[in-house]
Amino acid sequence: MNKNWLLSQESFDALLAWLDSDRERAGIKYEQIRYRLIRIFVARGCAEAEDLADEIINRVTSKLNAIGDEFTGDRERYFYGVANKVLMEYHRRRQPQPPPSAAVDSNRVEQEYRCLEQCIAQLSDENRELLLQYYQGEGRAKIEQRRRLAERLGIAPNALRIRAFRIRAALQECVEKCLESNLR
Amino acid sequence: MQNFLLGSLDADRRIEIEERILREPQAYEELLVVEEELIDQYLAGELSIAERRQFETHFLLTAERQKNLHFGKLLKRYVDSVRPAETNAPAKKSFSFYPRLLAERPALAFAASLVACLGIIFLVWLAAKNPERRTQTTVRASMAITLAPGSMRSGGTTQRVNVPPKGVDLKLELQLARPTYPKYRSQLLRESETLQTTDGLKAEAKGDQHIVPLTITREILTPGDYQVRLSGVLDSGQNEFIDNYSFRVVE
Repeated sequence: MNKNWLLSQESFDALLAWLDSDRERAGIKYEQIRYRLIRIFVARGCAEAEDLADEIINRVTSKLNAIGDEFTGDRERYFYGVANKVLMEYHRRRQPQPPPSAAVDSNRVEQEYRCLEQCIAQLSDENRELLLQYYQGEGRAKIEQRRRLAERLGIAPNALRIRAFRIRAALQECVEKCLESNLR
Repeated sequence: MQNFLLGSLDADRRIEIEERILREPQAYEELLVVEEELIDQYLAGELSIAERRQFETHFLLTAERQKNLHFGKLLKRYVDSVRPAETNAPAKKSFSFYPRLLAERPALAFAASLVACLGIIFLVWLAAKNPERRTQTTVRASMAITLAPGSMRSGGTTQRVNVPPKGVDLKLELQLARPTYPKYRSQLLRESETLQTTDGLKAEAKGDQHIVPLTITREILTPGDYQVRLSGVLDSGQNEFIDNYSFRVVE
């Protein structure tokens, strides 16, 4: 993989301009494309997903002079086309090895659990209640509980899924920050 | 989306989903949500043997997902340790209207009672007048398709079925390797959302095979990908997961 070709400021500006005439919107699109490419590579079984995503961005940027204003389709589609090519090269080059699972450190696990308890305590009453009611139970009882919860909140089941996911994602971030501050 | 994450989709379908992920914010968020749900299903032991294998060899390939699995375990541990939340369902409204009416407007209450009694007498008279109407049952037409379980399906292709006409239900015949259980339970899912749960299903012989018949009402079928999760139910009431059956409803 050519890691020597890094994006210069000039090239990065050209890429943003190609993504959108508004620089701020272009920056958001750039981030979104990068995160989604990483997700796609992870789903395809690539352990080096971030490196691959950066490789694709580098290649697209290097071709901007050639494609310029001639390419009029979805910019994302162009990235996807380059992604498929990069993936084929990657798989030809090597068999991806799964990363070794980290050894479990029971002290760290307990520290994480305490951080989780602290983070949950910091949630609003409404979010804490939603979290517990959404994730408690098993099998059919859990499904029924979620259905009743959605009805009680007056939202569709899918909206409840998304809401629970966002609370969970925020909790995970909170736990990571708590751990970092404990380690300092 | 779950099959996409487990790496078990055919190439055409995978490309379709990847393009959607790249272009649509909702598809991207859906992917993240389904990743977490898959982790929860793995931790709860709800994946089939094949899905579990794919989860461990394909899904868990990256450090980030292993970190998410670890967080999922922590969250499960916390949730399992907390007393089940009492529901906040509003207290059932007791029917206190009539006693209040009786106390405040006794004449009106008496008139309402009289009307109710006359109504009941009328309905009983009507039923007695047309006895054959009591025995009439409405039978809806249905169209049937046979589904092989994910573990038996060759070629990795998903069965397609057209949206049934109005008033016509879809009858699925879920193939079984062996009719091991006295009863079965099914969950119909679409995009990881459970649409219908059916208990008390029984296996039937069909030629030299065994199937579990499952009827899905037309009203809940719209174009998209569906999955039926079939479990066997022991006499003790315990469920044992058997397999998944996939199909796609098209216009």
